[in-house]
Amino acid sequence: MATILSVKNLTIKFGGLVAVEDFSVDVQEGELLAIIGPNGAGKTTVFNMLTGIYKPTSGSIEMDGKNLVGMRPHQFAAHGLARTFQNIRLFHNASVVDNIKMAYTLHSSEKFFPALMRTESVVEQEWELDMEVMRLLKIFNLDQQADLLSKNLPYGPQRKLEIVRAMMLKPKILLLDEPVAGMNVAEIDEIASLIAQIREKFKMTIILIEHHMNFVMPIADRIKVLDFGKTIAEGNPGDIQKNPKVIEAYLGGGYHAIA
Amino acid sequence: MKFSKRFKSILPVIGLAALYGLIMLLKSMGIANNYHIQILMFAGVNIMMTLSLNVVNGFTGQFSIGHAGFMSLGAYGSAIITTLILKPSVIPASMEIPVFLLSLLVGGLVAAMVGYLIGLPTLKLKGDYLAIVTLAFGEIVRAGLRLIEPIGAARGMIGVPNYANLAWIFLFVALTLFFVRNIIYSRFGRAWIAIRDNEIAAEAMGIDSTRYKIISFTFSAFIAGVAGGLYAHVVSFIQPDTFSFVKSSDLLVFLYAGGSGSLTGSIVGALLLTSLPEALRFLASWRLVIYALVLVIVMLYSPKGITGGYELPFLRITRKDIYENRGKKISETPLQETKEGDV
Repeated sequence: MATILSVKNLTIKFGGLVAVEDFSVDVQEGELLAIIGPNGAGKTTVFNMLTGIYKPTSGSIEMDGKNLVGMRPHQFAAHGLARTFQNIRLFHNASVVDNIKMAYTLHSSEKFFPALMRTESVVEQEWELDMEVMRLLKIFNLDQQADLLSKNLPYGPQRKLEIVRAMMLKPKILLLDEPVAGMNVAEIDEIASLIAQIREKFKMTIILIEHHMNFVMPIADRIKVLDFGKTIAEGNPGDIQKNPKVIEAYLGGGYHAIA
Repeated sequence: MKFSKRFKSILPVIGLAALYGLIMLLKSMGIANNYHIQILMFAGVNIMMTLSLNVVNGFTGQFSIGHAGFMSLGAYGSAIITTLILKPSVIPASMEIPVFLLSLLVGGLVAAMVGYLIGLPTLKLKGDYLAIVTLAFGEIVRAGLRLIEPIGAARGMIGVPNYANLAWIFLFVALTLFFVRNIIYSRFGRAWIAIRDNEIAAEAMGIDSTRYKIISFTFSAFIAGVAGGLYAHVVSFIQPDTFSFVKSSDLLVFLYAGGSGSLTGSIVGALLLTSLPEALRFLASWRLVIYALVLVIVMLYSPKGITGGYELPFLRITRKDIYENRGKKISETPLQETKEGDV
């Protein structure tokens, strides 16, 4: 397996606060890397750096031998890093189909003046795009809601739509920020099978942040644990579950006395 | 099938021609007079201006409150061509229409160029901050035009040939609607709406927000420039103070009262609110009170504007239309994953 993303010593400071310190990881093609940690550990901050929303104070993010630090978010997306958000950020007043088409902007070859005239070739491109989007929606079982405004979707499908939208970018790495936050057990299972499907069908490399251990443990190949911005443990799910540092971070230091 | 598709696509054109015919008929019967026609022409210019503002404020979600500035650039740009350079006395009568069209193009291009230059540094600003910059821009243009002596400075330009008639206005409103509709339902319009709905997500989805905002701003400024050019050739007299902040705020009222983010809304808002103060003239000084009251009532009872987000069928392009254009039915094709080769 080849390394497709190489992150070295990523550090970000907000004023005097070191939010993330020395975060390094080599992401292998096709793996599912989970980043876990208590609230405020800096997980989302790592994502925001990996997608260009925050500029790290120091460190590098390398993809295809190119350092992406300092680029704008849309350039990160163009380099193949697509994400979802912890608090859903859909294009609320656009339909489900349009939400996904919007993520195709980058790949679209429609030109301004032909679009203005709506030439035959533009109509054809729009038609092909629509079919491609519908195929994708069909795969993820959202095709029945295609023409709904995305704000009118229930919560679960909204989360799903965000993932499908990120897939439309045809990314090399999919970053999922708490994909099952606020979901019930049935919905969690559905997202788990959706992620499995994405890995199987699209051979997608995934980095995800999550709190639900029952959700993360079975699907992750590798886990990194953050606490107060520092990486406190790394390894496969089995080792992480036994790691005393991790247990301490989650349960507090006093658990020995009880156990 | 083929015939009905053709028919459907030219239906709006027939409708517009019929409307024009009707107005001309009313005029020949003496029911409509030149005063009514002039109000209609102003309404047409205002529809174009509102559509232009709609592109930036309604679809891209930015907030421009200096749009009269672009209009004045277009008005002056085109008036300079027809009044100072290629004035009616130096060109043959047969060249009047080409010169008129050229002047509108120049007006549009001047406005678009300035829109681009203004947009470049300022579109990184958001919300209120951008609004302040556009406000300042409008005032700079007005103050600047007041200082340029060859174009009449604060006195304004007189004797602009009145080339524009109702037919031209109709044509340009229709063209504007056609172009704006097409661009809204393309990659560009979708990118604008994405930026409007959630700029962070739009960026994360690979949309270069600065670039698309600049395209939106430049396109919008072009339309405003052409509208300004038409205006100059309707009234024959332009002066910098016509395009003050009051004009910009009128346009904002047309946009939001009609319904922002809806092309139908821009038409209804501009048409209704341009003619309403005229229709209320019998109330003398009370008319502005009533006008404002109507606005308050509209916004209270229909916060999304008079049209409430409704779009006339020929002003939107649905997914069904895309398939029908290809001679396909929407239900039969794309859902079957395995039949890719067939469609």
